[in-house]
Amino acid sequence: MRYLASLIAASLLLAGTSHAEEHEGRRLAMPAKVSAAWKTECGSCHMAYPPGLLPGRSWNALMDNLSHHFGSNASLDKGTEAEIRQFLLYASSDRDTRPAKAAPGERIVTRITDTARFADWHEEVRADVFRRQSVGSAANCMACHRGAEQGNFDEHQVRIPR
Amino acid sequence: MSRLFLLLLAASLAPPGPGRLFSRRTAAGLRRGSTPGFSGFSAERGKELYYRRNTKDGKAISCASCHSDDPRRSGMTPSFRKIGPMASAVNPERFRDPAKVEKWFRRNCDDVLSRACTPLEKGDFLTFLTTLR
Repeated sequence: MRYLASLIAASLLLAGTSHAEEHEGRRLAMPAKVSAAWKTECGSCHMAYPPGLLPGRSWNALMDNLSHHFGSNASLDKGTEAEIRQFLLYASSDRDTRPAKAAPGERIVTRITDTARFADWHEEVRADVFRRQSVGSAANCMACHRGAEQGNFDEHQVRIPR
Repeated sequence: MSRLFLLLLAASLAPPGPGRLFSRRTAAGLRRGSTPGFSGFSAERGKELYYRRNTKDGKAISCASCHSDDPRRSGMTPSFRKIGPMASAVNPERFRDPAKVEKWFRRNCDDVLSRACTPLEKGDFLTFLTTLR
């Protein structure tokens, strides 16, 4: 009986831990010193997406092709581009600094909404919620995740607007 | 082109109300330069450019689509960022940094017109937005 009780206690504890870890994981690690160029340049057209939202090679692919950036010309001068690229690579989700060269049959994702993690975390959100006027589209993280630009995607702090 | 840049630089260093000074100097610069038939910038032509609608990826687009129909008001990017008003009368910080001005001409002329803007178009556009009250 005592064994059973401790087993239950242990499993509760474990469940608690994994729960906490899961939410911990939804706060992306942000470097202590945030690149000012990243904040201003990326953040002038859209939310400054935290580097931890994509793997390094995805960031390299995006930074290689800024003059064709999802239908817009987002080209930068060389110095600014290099600074932002470095910031993104070193705080990316996998810290992978290799160039964006896909292996045969591999596709390097460039849309955050195409990542497996995005699909996983938004499983319960219906498509029409993303289309609400108050949201705009799935690209507008901050509509529901107020702290998104600081890397905070904590599930408990989500507020979905009507 | 580098001459225009220098003139823009001169304009950015000018005290508030840079519109007139900018136009006069830039106009003089273009006259000395190699633009045949140039007889000054036109706020009217700049206005026409601001509202001119082009088709991009099957959709109508103009400067006004993002910068708002009234340049004295704030606009919004397609990806939900507020854009400060374009008219320098209500937004004195506008057009103060020549590198920033050139960066946005480079990007947005490509986005809206699918080509670079000419120095004349840039001058007209700036004249419209710096003289609008």
